[in-house]
This record gives sequence, C-alpha cells and structure tokens, in this order.
Amino acid sequence: MDSLALAAERVAATSSRNEKVAHLAAYLRALSNDDLALAARFLSGLGKLSVGHATMRAALEAATKWDRETISLCYREVGDSGETIAHLCRPITKGEPMPLTLAATYFETLQHTRLTQSKVDLLTRIFQTHSAPALKFFVKSITGNFRIGLQEKMLEDALALATGQPSAAVRAANNRCGDLAAVALSARSGELEKIEVTLFHPLDFMLAQPFDESKELDTPANWYAEDKYDGIRSQLHVANGTVKLFTRGLDDTTAAFPEIVLAFTGQPGPLILDGEVLAFRDGRPLPFHLLQQRIARKKVSQKTRNEIPVLFLAYDILMHQGELVFDKPIEHRRAILESLRLSNLSQQTQLQSHAQIEELFQAARARGNEGLVLKRRGSLYESGKRGANWLKVKRPFATLDVVITAAEHGHGHRAGVLSDVTFAVRDGDRFLNIGKAYSGLTDAEIKELTKLLRASTIERYAGGRVQIVRPEIVLEVAFDGLQRSPRHKSGYALRFPRIVRWRRDKGPADIDTLSHIHSLFHTFSTATPA
Amino acid sequence: MQVEYSPDGIYLPAIGLWLDPRATVPAAWLSHAHSDHARGLHQTVIASAITAQLYRHRWPLPAGRQQQTLLLNPNQSIEWNGATLTARQASHILGAAQLLVEHQGERLVYTGDIKRRAPICGWPTEPTPCDHLIIESTFGLPIYQFLEAGIAQTRIANFALECLAAGQTPVFQGYGLGRGQEIAHTLALHQIPCQIHHSIAALIPYFEAEGYTFPVHSGGGAILVTPGLEEKIPLPPTKRKVALVSGWAALDNARARANADVLIPYSDHADFSELLQLIAESAPSQIDIVHGYAAPFARILRDRGYNARQAAA
Repeated sequence: MDSLALAAERVAATSSRNEKVAHLAAYLRALSNDDLALAARFLSGLGKLSVGHATMRAALEAATKWDRETISLCYREVGDSGETIAHLCRPITKGEPMPLTLAATYFETLQHTRLTQSKVDLLTRIFQTHSAPALKFFVKSITGNFRIGLQEKMLEDALALATGQPSAAVRAANNRCGDLAAVALSARSGELEKIEVTLFHPLDFMLAQPFDESKELDTPANWYAEDKYDGIRSQLHVANGTVKLFTRGLDDTTAAFPEIVLAFTGQPGPLILDGEVLAFRDGRPLPFHLLQQRIARKKVSQKTRNEIPVLFLAYDILMHQGELVFDKPIEHRRAILESLRLSNLSQQTQLQSHAQIEELFQAARARGNEGLVLKRRGSLYESGKRGANWLKVKRPFATLDVVITAAEHGHGHRAGVLSDVTFAVRDGDRFLNIGKAYSGLTDAEIKELTKLLRASTIERYAGGRVQIVRPEIVLEVAFDGLQRSPRHKSGYALRFPRIVRWRRDKGPADIDTLSHIHSLFHTFSTATPA
Repeated sequence: MQVEYSPDGIYLPAIGLWLDPRATVPAAWLSHAHSDHARGLHQTVIASAITAQLYRHRWPLPAGRQQQTLLLNPNQSIEWNGATLTARQASHILGAAQLLVEHQGERLVYTGDIKRRAPICGWPTEPTPCDHLIIESTFGLPIYQFLEAGIAQTRIANFALECLAAGQTPVFQGYGLGRGQEIAHTLALHQIPCQIHHSIAALIPYFEAEGYTFPVHSGGGAILVTPGLEEKIPLPPTKRKVALVSGWAALDNARARANADVLIPYSDHADFSELLQLIAESAPSQIDIVHGYAAPFARILRDRGYNARQAAA
C-alpha cells in the first residue's frame, strides 16, 4: 500500500492524462503477479467496503484520542476521510508499512466481521500501526473514492502500457468480466482473449450525445428514432432462471422490482438486455418521482406494487443465448430483440426527413416521454462510449431565475468552498425553496460566490455545515422536469437542476414567481396527471 | 494586564500602546511588515529596524507628514509609559519580532505571526516565558503539519529541476513579501535561473542587505509570481507545472483551490505541533488566541489544562 500511495500521489500531482498513465504503468510494471492483482483490485474500487462513517470515526477517536468535535472540524476542512485519518494518525502511528497482501487480509477481515465494535477495534489497531500514506490510501480504497483524478479508463490504459498489450484489448476484457485483477494477470501473460463474459456483472452502457438541433442531419434515412424514456436506465441479465437488474451507476436494483424479475424468469438465457425501468399505468409512464419511491425500498409491499406498477422496456440486446451480440449491427440486434416477443419493446422508426424529428419529438412528449434517441444505421453497441452513433433529442424546460437562500460546503476538491446551493422562487415578498444544485459554475466563480455568501450569512445549522444567506444572489437554472414535492417549501421539485449562469444583472425582485411555476407545471404535466 | 480587542486592533490601555492596529492610532507596535499588521500612518511606531524599513517601503510617508519611529531590535529594551518593552526574535518573515511587555511585575508576550521552526530567510524564534501570551492560530488544527525549512528547500529545488529536465516551466506561487523571496533565494542556492514578478522583486534589495543571494534575472528557468497570476502565464498547461509552497498545501484540496499540481507544505506560520511547543515554552497562565481557528484551538488548549480563550480581535 505504501508504494501504491507513492504512485497515487504522483498521479495526483499532474493534470496530464499521459503522465498519470505513465506513473501508474511504471508502478504496475514493477509488481509481482500477486501484488499486481491486488493493486488492480484496490485501484479499480473493488475493495469498497460497507464501513460506515461512524465506525471509522470511532476508530479514529480511539486511535488518536482526539475528541469528536475536533475530528469533525478536521474532516470538514479536509473533505476526505482517508486524508483526514492520515493527518491525524501521523503523529501517533508506529509507521509500519502495509504490504498489499496485508491490506487484502484487513479487507477480508473487515468484510466478514459482523460486530461493529470488532470492526472499530481492528481499524483502531490499523490506524495505530501503519504509515500515514498507507492509511490514506487504505481508507480511500475502503470508501471507494480515490479523488486523485484517476478514471477506470486510465487504469486500463496504464495496465496496457505496463504489459505491452493494446489498450482496446484490455478495455474489452475488463468490460467482459469486470474484474481488473483477473484482466491484469491475463494481460501480463498475453491471454486477454481468454477472458470470458461474467454473467451478472454489468457491462458498460452505450451513451448518447446531445443532438445539436441547429444542424441538419446529413442523411436522415441513415437514422432510426426511438422515444427517450424518463425512467431508470437498466441492464437486465437472465441465466438459469435468475434475473438481475443493474443501473448505470452499476448498482444492483433487482430487489426493488420483483414483478420485473417474475416477468423475465422464464426467458431462455443467458440473456443481457439494455432498456429502461418505468413506472407505468394505463398505457402511460408515471412521473419519475413515483418511480423513485420504488427504488428506495429493499422490500416492496403489494400495496406499493399496485400503486406504482413498474415494467422493463427493452431497447437493445447485448447477449443472446450466451453469445455476445454487441459487436453486431443494430439491425441484427433489433431482429433478435423482436424475435424474443417481449411484452415491452421500444418502438423504432426509420427517419424519412429532418422535419420528421419535430413530429416524432412532439409525439414522444405527448406519450409522456422525454424526447427522442436517434440511432445510426449499421452501428454497433459501443459499450462505455458516448459516441456520435446515438444522439439524444432533449429540450430543457424553460430556465428559471432563482435566488440563493442557503449554501453548504462541497466535498473533495470543493471542500473549502460553498459549492452546493439551495435556491428559491418568489411568492409575493416570501422566498420559497424549489431546489438545490451542485454544478454549473466555474471554480473561479465558486470562489467568488463563496466570499459573497460568507459575507451574507444570516445563520448556520447542521454543525455550521449549512449556512442560511440573505436572498441576494440570482442564478439562472435549467432543469429536465417539474414535479410536485413536499421536500421544498414551494411544493415543487426540479429534475436535474443545474446552474446555467450567474445573473449578476438581476436582483431578488426580478426572479421567477411561484405562480409562474404553477403555470409551467400545468403546461407540461398534461401528459402525466400526478 | 488588561488587553482590549476590537475591530481596530489589540490595545493595552494601561500603557497606551496598540499592537499591529488596523486603524490609525497614536502609538503602535508593528510585529512585522505584512500589510495586515503594519499599516496606516500612526504618530509613533515601534518596530525592529528591518520591519521599519519594509513598512516604510510599502507605506511611504506623504510629504509634510511627520512620524516618530522608535527602533527596537531583538533583545533591546525601552521604557514606555511605566512598562519595559523588549523585542524578541520571531521566526516568520525577515525582521519579525515578538514584543515582551513587563509591567507591574507581569510579563505579557505578543507573538505577532510566528512559527517555531527556523525560517529560510530571517532569524529563529526566541522562546520567551511569560504570564500572559497573545498568540495566533492560523493553523491551529492537528491536520496541519509542515516541513522543516531544509526539506522544503530540497523539494522546491527538485520540483524545479524535474520540470526543467522534462522540458516544462516550473511555476511557483509566492506572496510579495516573505515566501516569494524565500523561494527565489532557494532557487539561487541551486543555481536555477528564475523570472520574478516585480511585486516580489521590488523587496529583494532588503533581503540582499541581510546577506541573502538571489537568482540572476534571465529568460528561461523558473517563474515566480504572486498567487492567482499563474493563470495569466502565456504557456499551455502541458508546458508548465505549478507548485504551491504554503501551509495550505498540507491539504490535497489546496490543489484545486490554488490551481497547483505539486504541494509543498511549508509556511511562515506555526503548524499545530509548533503552536503547542511555543505555548509549552512560554508556560503562560493566560492565553489569548487572536487569529485563525481561534475558538476550536482555545478549546483544545483548555482540554489540555491551559487557561485559554478566543480573543475577538
């Protein structure tokens, strides 16, 4: 873990992707086979454990004798558990190195320890024993967040560089099995092609680029159009009567949707479908927030199932009868998909003209869907890519001018600034919160905003984390949907709100009003009675 | 001894003396020449000779204005309204000093900005036992741990040499007075040429007068600018690397905040362990904390049995 930490610090200390990959490759190249597999496992986030903040903090208190208040304050300033623990343990630890094999033993022990107190005891011992750099990255591995600007793709490239294998081959193998440790060893022995598909491991999804509506499609007949659904993008795996669902975050959501499991149990496998989980009733999709109520549950009651029925709507196929088909053209995949006689299949239309996009878009909206996805004729399923073969036609709802009412510190590299803001619309002389946004401003703007917000803080709560500010700063926000919600005072919530720009030219008197929101809601929600 | 804290600064009413006041006052002790400490045209200023020079450079006396300057170098004393004032060395920037006030049998020490480790440019701290200590806590949390000057210098030089070897331009961020000259002097010791921003270069003669060497101003080599200006350097990001030499560089989030690639945690303020050492060496019966993490640091000290409080300066 110590040499991994050294390599990771080098990766963090450069913003150049090539240099990051080169540093990692140099580190991986020098490792023994056993260490190579372990390093790949830790770096790819497979070592993530369900050790909670409370457990970690209890161990840190026991190891360092620091009180909870000091530890919380330190964490707030640092913004990362691994780094906080490393700093606080540096003066007290024996500083022994942590070989990767020992780190792996710790992982397994923690994984199989049930009692919280036993976990705390083990972590306390670890914190008192090992060097600060090893602790920093050991904890980052546990919590699954390295925060050194390292993406899985760089790791694959580094592995390719370290073993002399082509990047594409390493990537394809990792996508097939999802176990970078196994990929690393096969890459080293030159046997990448032997890596087989692991069932019930989610493959990367193919993603769509936004369609630039100001430009005409070159040849409309080269494109198929399908509705873009406002559900949960999911991958469905079936084999031997077992069904599993994975989301794009690669989470397993099977337990939340028993009726989908039931519907696909009889399908001959092994089968992998790409599609959308939708809440659906009377031939129409239900609003997304109803679907969210389903996903939050581990156990689903019959009552919930009756109130919010769900289905899986398929639109692509990655594996059919145990054979990978994502390298076959879209027409071939579509033919297989249609041969399965699924009850819910996305409709596909071959485009005739550019003008037809508008017509289909309006029809999709009228059906309660979000927009369109255009798919290129003859294209393959490009796993993990946001390429130009899928284009999404999506129009944001009108943007809103809102005022900031509260702010809190972000995480990671935004730990020291007020990057997360809550905002409101106006109702007479009252300001009613309607949403929260994390992104959309540049780092420089956030820095400046932080100063202004600090100066206009009225009160703090949640241990000082959240600051209520005078409603003065106006932002323009975009969003993808509007729904009724008790979460905010306005009675509405926005879907995917993001900051478009800081409206320095406007004051709180100029922002949008609640009655404007009412009318927006009625205009757009005719398709989906809430 | 009674000490008054207000937005105008720290005031000792019994002897009519202000300590690093922000407002313009009749009589002020200037601990060092940073502009948040040495500012305004007070009628009388008391300071070390170097601080007085740097202050005059940054705060020129307008024509026709009078100011009395009393020079008080380390371990010199003067009588002042019934008290004895003695300057003591402070490791911070060139010329920085603590002030020891002895009045009616009581010893009060105002540290100004200070650290315990030796600086790259300047003199070391002289520990000064006292009854009442007024000290800063810019880095008063245990997460702040800094490098010794010698190690920081090695890191500074290695960073520059590695960049140059890779065909990249090393860029340093340094404040106009203090860190900037320390970095430049370090580069000179390693014969690394450097282009220096004028706001840093302007004060170099004061450092040369104390015997420190500086790089030849030439094309090529490293670039040294004040924080924020690194973005204005007309070099593509692939052709340059930015190092932040600062106490804030102790935390990884400094990288994003300061647009830096490489972090070198070296400061002219004390880190947490140095603060504890300074306090232990002074053995005061009362501690006032005036800057930074004042409230939590005062609480940490109380937990350790000290009589400490946050002074609302």
